[in-house]
This record gives sequence, C-alpha cells and structure tokens, in this order.
Amino acid sequence: MENQGSNGVLLRTVGLTKRFGSLVANQGIDLAVKAGTIHAVLGENGAGKSTLMKMLYGVYKPDGGEIYMDGRPVTLHPPSRAREKGIGMVFQDFRLIPAMTALDNVALAAGSGWRFRRGSLRERMLEISSKYGLSVNPDVPVWQLDLGQRQRLEIVKTLMAPNVRLIIFDEPTSVLVPQEVRAFLDMLGLLRKDGFGILLITHKIDEVLACADEVSVLRAGRLTYRAERDEGWTAERLVSAMLGERTPQPVTKRDRAGKRPTEEARRSGHPSEEVPRPESRFADMPPEAVSRMEHPSEETSHPGCPSEGPGEVLRLENGAIAGDHGELVLESVHLTLRRGEITGVAGISGNGQRELAEALCGLRRLKRGTVTIGGKPVAGGPRAFLEAGVACVPEDPLRESVVPGFTILEHMALEGIPLRRRRMGIDWRHAREALEASEEARALNLAEAGRRADRLSGGNVQRMVLARALIRKPRVLIVSYPSRGLDIGTVHAIQRQLIGLAESGTAILLFSEDLDELFKLSDRLVVLFGKRLLGPYDPAETDAFRIGERMLRGETA
Amino acid sequence: MIADILTGALRSGTSVMLASQGELISERAGVINLGTEGCMLAGALGGFATTVWTGNPWLGALAGGLCGMLLSLIHACLVLDRGANQLASGLTLMFFGIGVTAFLGRSFVSEQIVGFNPVPIPVLSDIPVLGEVLFNHDPLTYLSMLLVPALWFVLFRTRIGIILRAAGEREEVLFACGVNPRLVRYAAVLAGGFLAGIGGAQLSVAYTHSWVENMTAGRGVVAVAMVIFAAWRPFRAMLGAYLFGAAQALQLTVQQQGLPISPYFLFMAPYVLTLAALLIVERRKRSSVPEGLSRVFAADADG
Amino acid sequence: MKTEADLLPLSPQAARAVGRLRPARKIGRQIIVILAPFVLYGLFLLYNGVNPWELYVSMVRSAFGDWFGFGETLIKATPILLTGLAAALPARAGLINVGGEGQLAIGALFATMAAVWLLDALPAAAGIPLMLVAGALGGALWAGVTALLKVAGRINETIASLLLNYVAVFLVGYFVHGPLKDPHSFNWPFSPEIARQLRLPVFDGTRLHIGFLLAIAFAVLVWLVLAKTGTGFRIRVLGGNRIAAERAGIRVSLIYAGVLLAAGALAGIAGMIEIAGIEGRLRPTTGATYGYLGFLAAWMAWNHPLRLLLTSFLLGMIAVAGNELEIGSGLPSSSVHMLMALVLFFLMGGARGRKA
Repeated sequence: MENQGSNGVLLRTVGLTKRFGSLVANQGIDLAVKAGTIHAVLGENGAGKSTLMKMLYGVYKPDGGEIYMDGRPVTLHPPSRAREKGIGMVFQDFRLIPAMTALDNVALAAGSGWRFRRGSLRERMLEISSKYGLSVNPDVPVWQLDLGQRQRLEIVKTLMAPNVRLIIFDEPTSVLVPQEVRAFLDMLGLLRKDGFGILLITHKIDEVLACADEVSVLRAGRLTYRAERDEGWTAERLVSAMLGERTPQPVTKRDRAGKRPTEEARRSGHPSEEVPRPESRFADMPPEAVSRMEHPSEETSHPGCPSEGPGEVLRLENGAIAGDHGELVLESVHLTLRRGEITGVAGISGNGQRELAEALCGLRRLKRGTVTIGGKPVAGGPRAFLEAGVACVPEDPLRESVVPGFTILEHMALEGIPLRRRRMGIDWRHAREALEASEEARALNLAEAGRRADRLSGGNVQRMVLARALIRKPRVLIVSYPSRGLDIGTVHAIQRQLIGLAESGTAILLFSEDLDELFKLSDRLVVLFGKRLLGPYDPAETDAFRIGERMLRGETA
Repeated sequence: MIADILTGALRSGTSVMLASQGELISERAGVINLGTEGCMLAGALGGFATTVWTGNPWLGALAGGLCGMLLSLIHACLVLDRGANQLASGLTLMFFGIGVTAFLGRSFVSEQIVGFNPVPIPVLSDIPVLGEVLFNHDPLTYLSMLLVPALWFVLFRTRIGIILRAAGEREEVLFACGVNPRLVRYAAVLAGGFLAGIGGAQLSVAYTHSWVENMTAGRGVVAVAMVIFAAWRPFRAMLGAYLFGAAQALQLTVQQQGLPISPYFLFMAPYVLTLAALLIVERRKRSSVPEGLSRVFAADADG
Repeated sequence: MKTEADLLPLSPQAARAVGRLRPARKIGRQIIVILAPFVLYGLFLLYNGVNPWELYVSMVRSAFGDWFGFGETLIKATPILLTGLAAALPARAGLINVGGEGQLAIGALFATMAAVWLLDALPAAAGIPLMLVAGALGGALWAGVTALLKVAGRINETIASLLLNYVAVFLVGYFVHGPLKDPHSFNWPFSPEIARQLRLPVFDGTRLHIGFLLAIAFAVLVWLVLAKTGTGFRIRVLGGNRIAAERAGIRVSLIYAGVLLAAGALAGIAGMIEIAGIEGRLRPTTGATYGYLGFLAAWMAWNHPLRLLLTSFLLGMIAVAGNELEIGSGLPSSSVHMLMALVLFFLMGGARGRKA
C-alpha cells in the first residue's frame, strides 16, 4: 500500500452515468477520493449509491463519463480489474461462504492461483486482524459467527488483497448496534492513518458528521451537494440535500397515554374529546376505520376473542427453541402478547428472531415449553396455529409466500379468504367477490386480483401478504421486518395498517431491525440477546441507546 | 472366509468407488449427475472395446474414462448452458447410455480379453490376511485406493478444492472473487464423468473381463446414493462403496457355501443395504449438504 | 405492458417489424428442436445401413395407415401413459418419482398372483376388476415404500425409487423362478398363463385391448383432480412453493404420501394391463423400460396430464418403429431408446431454463 501523500488523489470520476433501460440510475457523477481520507457518500435508499459503487467495483460498466486512477483513465469492469487496481469492497451482504472456515474464505478471496496455502496465509491474517483490532478466529466455520464477527472477517479479507489502497464500505453499520458503531469508526480512523482511501456509503448522517473528511450527497441519481470538512457542513444542510423539498409523512407515535384515559372517560361518562388526539393520525384513513378505532369496544369482536378489555392472547411459557443445526438458539423464553398491543422485538440479527417467529407460526417445534392462545394450549404444525387465530407475515415473502404462476386471488384464497366448495371444486367467483369487497385490500392498494403474484414488485408482494393477514382479522399477528427494502410510501401505509389492526384488538409481535420503527409503533419492547428474551420494556421510559446496550450486552447486572 | 469377502468387497466395490469419487467432485461443485450409470456403461464398453482392439488394458482404461467424460459433457451442456433440470437430464442420460452401449456393444458380447489381473505387491501381499485383502488387486484398484487421500487433500487443503467447494456453496461469492463458477462446474462434471468411465472400465476390463449389456446393473445409481451417504466426504464414500462391494461378494460366498438363500435376495441385498445406509445417516447429513446442491432437490431441503 | 420495442431507440415502424420477427424466430427454434433428434438418429441409422427416411415414413404410416398399426401404437402408448401419469402427478407436488418401472413390475406381480392363485375360476366381470385392484394395490404398496422412506426417513424420492426399481426386478425374478413358476415350462422362468376369461377384451382385427380406454380415463381423471378440486389446488401450491404451502397449513407429508401412492397405483394398473392385455403371463422382463419411457413422456408433456396423451402416443409410435427396426434390419428394438433420449435432450436444450 503506497503512500500517496496526504493529497494524493487515488480515484476520480468525471460525469459518470449509468442507465437501465429508461431508468437513469446515475447521472453525471463527479467524485474524488484521496489517500488517507474518508469520503462519505450519503443518500436515501434508491438514490443511486449502490449503482455508483458497483461501477467503481467493476460490477457494472458505465454508460457515460470517465474514471481516472493515478491520473490515467481506467476501465474497472469486470471486478477482477478493479481488484488489480487496488480497489477493495466490503459488501453489505457479506460475500462469505457459511459452510467454510474463515481461513478458507480468506484463501478463496485473497489467495491467487491454484497453489497450496495455509501457513503463511494464516499468519498474515492474524497480523492484519490484530493491527486493526479486527479479531477473528480463522478456523471457525462462518455460520457460527455473528454478524459483527462476519463483518470483521469481511474487512480482514479485503485488507489482505495484494495491493489494496482504496476500500469501499457499503452501509457497514446497518448491522451494528450503537456501541459497535463506535468501534467501527475507530477502525476507520486507523485505516485512514495508514493512508488508505476510504469510500463510505451510508444513509446515516451522524456517522458522516463523526468521521468523514469529505461528503458527496446523492439524490435521484444526481450529485446534489459536495463539501470537505473544513468548508463546514451541518446536519440540516445534509438532510435537505438528501431529501430535497419533499418532507416525509410522519406516522406519529402511538398515543399510548391517550388510550387509557379514553376508556376511563367513557366508563365515567365523560366525553372523549377531553383527551387530546392529533388529527393528522387519521388524516388518510377511510372514515369507517377511523370510527372503529375511536370506539374499540363497540367493534365486532374477533372469533373467539373476549371483548372485555385488554387481556392476554398468547403466552409462551418457558420456551426453548432449536436452530437448524440442532443447537439451542433460545431458552427460558417467557413472552405474553396482549390484546391490542404491539410488542416490538429488537435484537442484532441472528439472535433467534427467525426461529422465534417460526415457532410462533407453528413452523418450528418447541424443544421445551408451551404456547397457549386464548387460554388453550396449541401444538402442532402451522395448521393448528392458523386455526387458533395466528397470522404470519414472513421475513422474505417472495421466497416463503409466493407460489410461482399463481394469481393474487389464488394467494388470498390460500390463507386469507375462506373458500367455498362448488360441486367438487372451489368457488372462485365467490372468492373474488369477497376479495373485492374487502377494505383491507383497498386500504393497502392491493393490485388487481388476476395478476400473477410472482411478477409483482417487492412492495406489492408485501402489501399482498399483509392484506391477506389482515383480512382474516387474526387474534395474533407475527410480522417480521415489514419495512425492509421498501420505499417510504409503502412503509408508512404498512405502519398505519399495523396500528389500525392493533387498535381493533389484534395482538401484534413485530420484528424489526429499525429501532426508530420499533419505538414508533410498539407498546412494549423486548430484546433478544444471549439466547434469552429480555424485557418487556416500556418505550416511553427508555431510549435507543439503552436498548442498543441490551442488544449488545444483555442486562447489566 | 472373511478374508475372501473383504477381498471381494474391495475388488467389486472399486468400480462403484471410482464413480462415487467422481460424482463427489461434481456434487461438491453443485451438480448432481444421475447419468453416472450411463457414463459407467460408456466407460465399460469403451474400455473393453479398446482393450480388444489394442490389447493394452491401460489404453482401455483411458479410453473408458474419455467415453464417460464425453457422455457427461451432454449433461454439463444441458444443465449449465441450457438450465435443464439436473435430475431429468441425468435420468435421460442414463437411459441414453444404456441404449447406446447396448447397441454398440452387440459385437463385443462374446469377446474375450486378458485385461487387468490381480498384481500382488511384493512383500506387502505376504502379510497374513491384510496382505491378501489389500495388496492383491488389479492396478486400477490400487489407483483408486490412492485416489481417495489425494482427493481429500485437494478438496480441503488446496485452493482448487476451495474454489470447487465454493462453486457448490455460493457461486455469487466465487464470481465476486473473479472465478467463473460455470467453468468450475464444467470441469467438475467432466471429471466426474471421467472417473465414472474408469470405474466402468474397471468392471469390464479388470473385474469380469467381459462385456454384457447393462452390466453395471445400477452401480452408477448406487454411486450417487453413496455420495449422499458419505455426506460428500471422500473417505466415507470409499467406505460406502466397499460396503456395497461386500454385499456383492457375500453373494458368491453364500452360493459357494450352499446356503439355502434364494440368489435373488442376495441380488437385492446391496441395494437394500444402500437404502438402509441412507436412512442411518439422514440426520447427520442434513447440515452438510452443499448449499448449491440443496436447491436442486427443490421439494426438500435435505432430500 | 412494456415490450422491448419501448426500450430500443427505433422508429415505430422498425419497432413493429422487430416485434413481428420474434415469434418467427421462436417457431424456427421449435422446429429445430423437434427435427434435430430425428436427423441425428437418421445419420446413425444410415451408418448402420438402414434408410432412415423409409423407417420414419413406415413409422407414421403404420401408426395411422390401418387399424392394426394404430392399435399397435396404442398398445405401446397405454402403459407409457399410465407410468407417465405416475411420474407427472407427484411432479406437480414437487416430487420426482422415477419408480414407475418398479411399481409397474410389482403391480404386474400382484395381478398375476391374484389371477393365478385366487381368481382362476371367476368370470370376467368379477375377475378383471379384482385383478385391476390387485395390480393397483401392488404398485401402490411399492410406491408406499418410497413414500415411507421419504416422509419418515427423509430420503430423496428420486434415489429411493431408482434403487427400488432394481429391487423390484429381483423380486419378480424370485417369484417367476420360484413360487410363481409355471410347472409346465421346462425351466423357463415365467408364470403360468392366466385364465382366458381374465384376459382383457380386444378390438376386432387388432391386438388392441380396452386397457387404453382405461388409461385415457385415468388421464382425464388426474387432470380434473389437479385443475378443479381443492386437493388439486393444494397439490399445485405444494409443487410451486413448499414453504408457502407449509405456512398455509397444508399437510405436506400427507400430500406427498398421497400422490406417491396414487402414482404407484397407476403404474401398478399399467402392470396389470400388460399382463391381462398383452402378455398373459409374468416374465422377468415384463414391462421393462415402460417406467422410464413414462418418465420421459411426462417430462416432454411438462407434467400436464392431457398433454401426456400426446407425448405418450408419440413415444408409442417410436417404440413400434423399434419393433419394425428389429424385424427389418436386425438392429435391437432398444435402439429406438436412443431416439427417445435424443428427443428429450433437444427438448431440454431448446427450453429456456435458468442457466446454472
């Protein structure tokens, strides 16, 4: 790794452009990365950051513009050429093979040719990992590592490439928790001191403020702002450059305090206007839904759900859940879900979220413990849980809920709308009518019933699966990462639906990696850490930092 | 008598063992080849025919390998270039191989060759029991025994092995490292076909010294099953193959001893044994399927 | 709907012209896919001194030229249709069942055992249906082993059914060499002939028996179940996305077992038809290769029961041609298996799957 001097420009782009059909992902991007500096690229989801990075890493070929390295124009496509030129990239979805050991993964990426490896590679690996504080055990298979460790491995891997000088980090802190982020930024500082050029792609403004030497802001494929640290920048300036004139529609916090007084007020005969209610919350919902929310106890009750006040709907008692390899993933789990409450589950990815969600949907048998729903124990497969009134929105609906070639109507019939028999077969006409009459489908802007579900966009698939769950008016809804990868409009629509569902009595268990979302929507929070379920915590009495601490270190004695 | 069975196990199991080592390479890269049976038959006929024409069994073995490799090329093209379903393509290849060799081999049915004969290794073969069992075999069997540790070493201790395994686990990662997974898979499938061909050649040139239509009688299928039984590890695949061979060798012993068991049950035994072996290891195997391969068995994650 | 024409910077007229070309190119490719195997095989025949054109012409002529030839084709097509259904039905649920070969054999075995040991004295009206049941039972039982291994033992059904094919052949071998051997056979291994009244009725002037009507009926039945009933819906969901099916509460193991047993029954009936319609007795090689041919036919038909009618007829035509080949030129009738495999190779090669 050569020292270019503190002002040596490692890489420069001029007018970089990339198109996909009629969509322009990047337009006229000018960028420069100097050695020994951290250059942040800021932008929302969909602003074109990842396309830009893929061009710099050789995955895409630019449609316009030039890239210069060491003052000379270069072609960085395919990735092998980018690597030759000394560009390394730490991906957001780590390029690691879980079944192989850390050393094997490093040998694959950083080795060369067909020769034998091992001894010297291991030495170099340990050397680099200690130099930058990235501790990793070389002989452990990757599937046993948690996300933070995997990221450290990924970084070590990148640093071990022969002549790497410029490192691109793609949203590196999205998998880390506040305390780990600190350590990560410190490591970046070490790399900067050693003269690496660092390109940091992120949407987190705080990180930029904390450590970047230079920032470029992308919006809708174009560069809207560029500045160096000494020129001075503010968070507001960055935000407005990221978002433009658009202001996001706020989904206000659940008025937790407001709910109880309303019921008390009603019982004691006081008019409910005494309790302040922000109007904007119900601004875009149909009037019938609004009145249903304002008068929850008058609403038609759910099948089998007691309508007398808040009560326990689901209880997991002393649960132990095993993972895919037979190892114990969670133990001594006690969880209660109450009617009309949203319980948010926080935790670093890989702490048993998937397994817990699957257990509560009936897909995964409990190793120990019992699940009671509405007072009755439930055991068996998904069928039993479905009949007990549980609905599930899985983490990856495209993979787990969509049947190739089947229409939306058929999907709704699979789990949502009750089917009627017609002679030997299914009465599809009746099903279609039921679907078109349902307001849940309308509220979520569900696409037309005859369209094939496997051709829908991610957001539309999510809407479909959620609408299906809502139509059933379930007692319990287990929803995993509903906002992942979706645009703001869809996310807000989904969040509104979840609030509405809770207000009408469903108990919701919400898994999310977005602490803001969890705080916004939840009545109670629990944390998964160290094979345990910690909590519940009241969101009003804690904050993101303390929850983050729980996520990372559990309950401090 | 035990020594006889063990010796027979090795000798009879070699053809299966070679084919299963080859299939192991292919499956580690993410491609399952049910047409291994066809490749073995191609190798058996090709090897036999070449030995008849040239009198040189070594050329025969080589030719057998090439014939098997040629057949596996069809499978590789269909699966890797045209996206065909791996199981369907393999089965068709098996069917094709049986048909082609039945036809082309007509004139070789009554031919006789010298071929490979057991070559006792001096000194080592004099060891009581062990010597006879291990060191009194034809050259191809010796080669196959050496193949196993060599394959193990390549798979787990060299970068080639890592690249191969990566192709079968996560091809995107391999591609990101600048290696074309498709090329790796081509090489793996061809290697599998080559070894299956040599396995077939061993059957005709070294074991039976003859050619009969459909003479592998399902050994290729057993080889594929053995790879699964072995959880994709070379030494265990060797064990499975010799287990099959032992069941076969048992047939002869039972007949020689005049035991009143219908020969047909003995014929069945090796296949039933294979199924039983699969049952036993099912639990353990679950976590060691190469990821890429598990997607081939679309209906089930592990089987 | 966005088409390529929208994305190309062409004038509207040029774009329309491009749009017209595409279907033509597709048809061209399909023609090549269909013709190429016959051309290749024709070259192979030429090399062996047989005139391919003559063979192909006589193949078509004998199939459609007279009732006898048509009947012969249907005779061959019938077991292929049934074993094809035995492959296609589980395939719609996501299973690959290659055990048609063994299931047919055991079905034939059970049918023969029933005919020879139990039904000898019964009239046709009672005996034939009972024989049918026996055949279905045998095939279902054999498929049941595969189902058990799959559901309880979690063994891949393709490998299990393949291995069981070999076991089935040996089982039949045991019986025709032993308990079921014809005492008057001078040591040839086959069963006694079944009673005359237990043979399937035949159409005048041909060897064609009513079994083919039965097969067609089953094809229609399978199609109805898959396309119209709730069970068929669940089967197709399972075949489309297993996880989605599980989440929807569909009982996966039950459906797996059910389709495999049904498939076995169908193949077993094919075995019974072979005995009662054609052979009249059980031999070690009864029904050989029909199982695999059924699998090929199912694959060619994309596992659609009605399309299977067509593909099994096609394979039946080729199989009949094989007989003629043997009679006319001395080439073994199994040579046509190469043609069938070539047809399937080109079909797979011509399709656009996901490249690995």
